Amino acid sequence: MSFIFDFLTGDKKLKPLPAKKKDELPHVQLGISFKEWQEQSPNKHKWRNIRWSFLIFINLLFIASFHLGWGVLEGSLSGSRLLGIYLMDPFNSAQELVISSKTGFISHLTTNFWIGFFVILTFYWLLGGRAFCSWVCPYHFFAEMGERVHDYILKKRKIREKTYDITVKYVFWIGLLIVAFLTQQLVFEDLNPVGILSRAMIYGPGLALIWVVLLLAYEIFGIKRFWCRYVCPIGVTYSFVGDLSPMSVKFDLDKCAHCRDCQDVCLVPHELWFVKKGAATREVHFTGGDCTKCGLCIDVCYSGALSFGLKDWTTNRWGYKMAKKMWTGNKQNG
Amino acid sequence: MANQTGKTNRRQFLKATATAVVSLAVVGSAAYYLRDKSSVQKTGILRPPGSVDEKDFLYACIKCGLCVQICPVSAIKLADWDSYLSYGTPYIDVNQQACDFSCDAIQCAETCPTAAINFQIFRHAGNEAVAPLYKKYPDGFPPEINPFEVQILAMRRVADMGVAKITDQEICLAYHGKGYEGPLGDHHALLRPPGSKERIDIAETHVKREICDLCVVYCPLGSEAIELKEIGEGRFLPEVKDGCVGCGVCQMLCPTNPKAIVIEPKEKLV
Repeated sequence: MSFIFDFLTGDKKLKPLPAKKKDELPHVQLGISFKEWQEQSPNKHKWRNIRWSFLIFINLLFIASFHLGWGVLEGSLSGSRLLGIYLMDPFNSAQELVISSKTGFISHLTTNFWIGFFVILTFYWLLGGRAFCSWVCPYHFFAEMGERVHDYILKKRKIREKTYDITVKYVFWIGLLIVAFLTQQLVFEDLNPVGILSRAMIYGPGLALIWVVLLLAYEIFGIKRFWCRYVCPIGVTYSFVGDLSPMSVKFDLDKCAHCRDCQDVCLVPHELWFVKKGAATREVHFTGGDCTKCGLCIDVCYSGALSFGLKDWTTNRWGYKMAKKMWTGNKQNG
Repeated sequence: MANQTGKTNRRQFLKATATAVVSLAVVGSAAYYLRDKSSVQKTGILRPPGSVDEKDFLYACIKCGLCVQICPVSAIKLADWDSYLSYGTPYIDVNQQACDFSCDAIQCAETCPTAAINFQIFRHAGNEAVAPLYKKYPDGFPPEINPFEVQILAMRRVADMGVAKITDQEICLAYHGKGYEGPLGDHHALLRPPGSKERIDIAETHVKREICDLCVVYCPLGSEAIELKEIGEGRFLPEVKDGCVGCGVCQMLCPTNPKAIVIEPKEKLV
């Protein structure tokens, strides 16, 4: 969801553009049927392969930095040091801040803590927030595999996918901070499959992996991507910065055939709301903060309507509009 | 096609929220209940040097493991589920590998981003110790005084991990006037003996003592922490003094089984 972005730009108030007529669709213009057009397009897995390689590379780098003493990327995903620069898990840091402001421990937090906290937020602001999820998070990797099994089971049993309200993740985000405050514990870190998996890979497996296996089993046999979609507060924290990120998935209404295959492969299909026929409010759209920038939609798109792009000033004028809005005190619509 | 807006109606949202709130309450109460069980008092694990009070440690530690990675002798390990919510937090198993302070600068504390292992106390103690020296010798130090050594000794003194205790004097070899000959340890572990610059592997070091005093001669803090006391007729017993910080070198080297000298972690949970 991109409520911060929408609030700042006023995009929410825009009315949808008139729906495309049939002869404007790309396959009709080529004079072939949709099925033929679909088959013509090469079955590519470009971004998926790049992403999986990168995810495995990063996690191997963590392992090698410890076991081979490379010292490039030390620590684990809860907190690490990349070439001497600290990086902190933002939700861990948020919990830490909430608790230590109550107990007075906040004055003990080191400069490296503050550097790590701000560096990671800036880094993922630039690279699109939840890019962490699909490009780094090891749990995502296993959950993505689990998702395939889940889809297969549903197809076999002919069960319809059930979805829940994703807004509940904000309830978890706030709730976990409150629970941390009340119990004076990093409650989320006790349940965090990202940290558990990361530590298990780097420092050796432990009993805590049972929890991760249970979670995965629930995602396969129960609710699809239960943890990532509805609970994980790390993703929510990154989605706040991702919402304002210049980096995003760009959508060209011109090239779209409204087949919505991209929404079927997407982990967060509500971010691709504009691919529905007659839903787009602009010629060019960008996905919001929940988008993990995994590139699956870009791989599946037959016409190249979706691509990685920068929300730049000339096409969307988002920076200009945002600045103008702040300047005039949210009065104008742009 | 499934619902792809991510939003449902109000009723659905309230249902999901109710589930979330209930599960959060369960998790929160479980965490609160397990909190006391997770403290070092109950689990009996030894924290790295300079760890803050346990009531703060349990939330200050984000379980990143940077301290594990920086320790040159690999003394620090991460706890598992058997220590309840302390799992993933660092501890030292002194039987396997004790903290011998051979990194000099207490690097685990220096690397900790959340000050769960607090470097400030070491910095403060170190600076406090050398400040008068710099005042006394403004034009450079005479060769017999090494400010660096003064500084690291002062830092060791405030490590405060626990305290050594004689479990049963009947087990102690020195108590019976016996000596010890053999390898310094029965497994591979690293140790930098006091005054030496090199680390040794305790399994490959052969020692011979007339009266077993391994816990005394290898103590990183020396005679201010432990001394061998004669109790008559050629029988001795190590005496732990106030200077002991609980690094665990004595326990690691004690040749008896069970150990005659063990570290008791400082109990701090209020």
